[in-house]
Amino acid sequence: MAILSVEQAVSVKLPTALLEHAANQQAIFVPSGTIREVIDALEERFPGMRFHLCLEVGELRPFVNIFLNGVNIRYLQGLDTPAPAGASLLIVPSVAGG
Amino acid sequence: MAYPLDLAPSSVVLMVGTKRGLFLLTSADREHWTITPTALEGGRVYYAMLDQRNGRRMFAADNGDFFGSFIRYSDDFGQTWTQARQGIAFPEGSGLSLANIWMIEPGRAHEPQTLYAGVDPASLWVSEDGGETWSMNEGLANHPTRADWNPGAGGLCLHSIVVDPSRPERMWIGISAVGCLRTDDGGRTWKFANKNTRASFLPDPYPEFGQCIHRLVQRPDQPDSLYQQNHCGIYKSENGGDDWTDIQNNLPSEFGFPMALDPHHPDTVYTVVEGMYRHNVTEQFCVYRTENAGAEWTPLTVGMPAGPEVRLGVLRHGLCTDSLDPCGVYVGTNTGQLFASADRGDSWKLIAEYLPPIYSVTAAVLA
Repeated sequence: MAILSVEQAVSVKLPTALLEHAANQQAIFVPSGTIREVIDALEERFPGMRFHLCLEVGELRPFVNIFLNGVNIRYLQGLDTPAPAGASLLIVPSVAGG
Repeated sequence: MAYPLDLAPSSVVLMVGTKRGLFLLTSADREHWTITPTALEGGRVYYAMLDQRNGRRMFAADNGDFFGSFIRYSDDFGQTWTQARQGIAFPEGSGLSLANIWMIEPGRAHEPQTLYAGVDPASLWVSEDGGETWSMNEGLANHPTRADWNPGAGGLCLHSIVVDPSRPERMWIGISAVGCLRTDDGGRTWKFANKNTRASFLPDPYPEFGQCIHRLVQRPDQPDSLYQQNHCGIYKSENGGDDWTDIQNNLPSEFGFPMALDPHHPDTVYTVVEGMYRHNVTEQFCVYRTENAGAEWTPLTVGMPAGPEVRLGVLRHGLCTDSLDPCGVYVGTNTGQLFASADRGDSWKLIAEYLPPIYSVTAAVLA
């Protein structure tokens, strides 16, 4: 994989529960693309990551939220949403409680 | 955190799967118990068991609320856990996604690397390398009636796995709202084994399949002798499930979830039945025992709570026995109480009170 500059890359921040599956990296930089391609890139670097985020049928798990520059991708184009260079992705579990 | 790493042989270890993690209760005399949490703290642990065919490897069905369900194993009594290297995940293109892992069962004694797992959506998974990698049984996945299987309230879950210890080609499974199935060719094909079991909630109350089996257990001395607790009755089969006999007899309800038997006296069977609101039928919580294979049932009440406020439910894996003689009997409730009997159920003691809702209780006597 070519080395990416921060400006060229999408930064991904994982939830605490998944850090152990990503060598405890607080921020991960992957090439720009759709959210699905970002997840593919995460899977390539951290095998098993896709299963944590997506159902086997390819959909995002129901209680996993991905925010692209602060906007939930469910309100954009879902996994087909483009994540351009320089974008930041925040992956968080749904709020649990009242 | 202290872990019971130095347990003496013949100690009893209870593995208690709950809505929030896995707990161990250990005892050298079945009178004094020590409760120890494990490192599985947050997931819904539907089932856990200790496999002693290769040392002491503990397996757990760890169902996460957010990031998926996993089979994990521990070689240090729950202090650390390893995720199966190739866990349970449906193949791309199957159109299926894993909902929950319900059951993990050791294979036969002479195949110590083999384990089985049952999941929702209903499928059987096999590991032949001690739990490191898992593959789906294709015979069941491609069953010709599969498109007509419909889930009940608990999901389309495969919750019971019974191997025939003497015939390696034969085993049984139980699937909620589908019924009991048997293979006689090592899992290549499966046929229904539901004759004479009811499905009162269907237009045809005696269909070929669609029965809501809740739990299936086997006599260790006669592999073709099976018992099942069903949504609609309690049954016994003496011919490998070719047909079944209703053994509800004097039980006050046909409905219940769990079932266990005394391995040294397998005419002795335990169950818990419930009323329509899924708790004790009367104001007395109890386990029922038969000592004559279901001809008559006795409520076991000594040490059990009673009163108008007592409304306890027990889920399908919430009752078990140990392998000692007289056998210990253990029952966990969906409100976090765990009761134990060291005398075949004659008397009971509350041994844990404030656990999360209990999904499963299994017992191991350390070799």
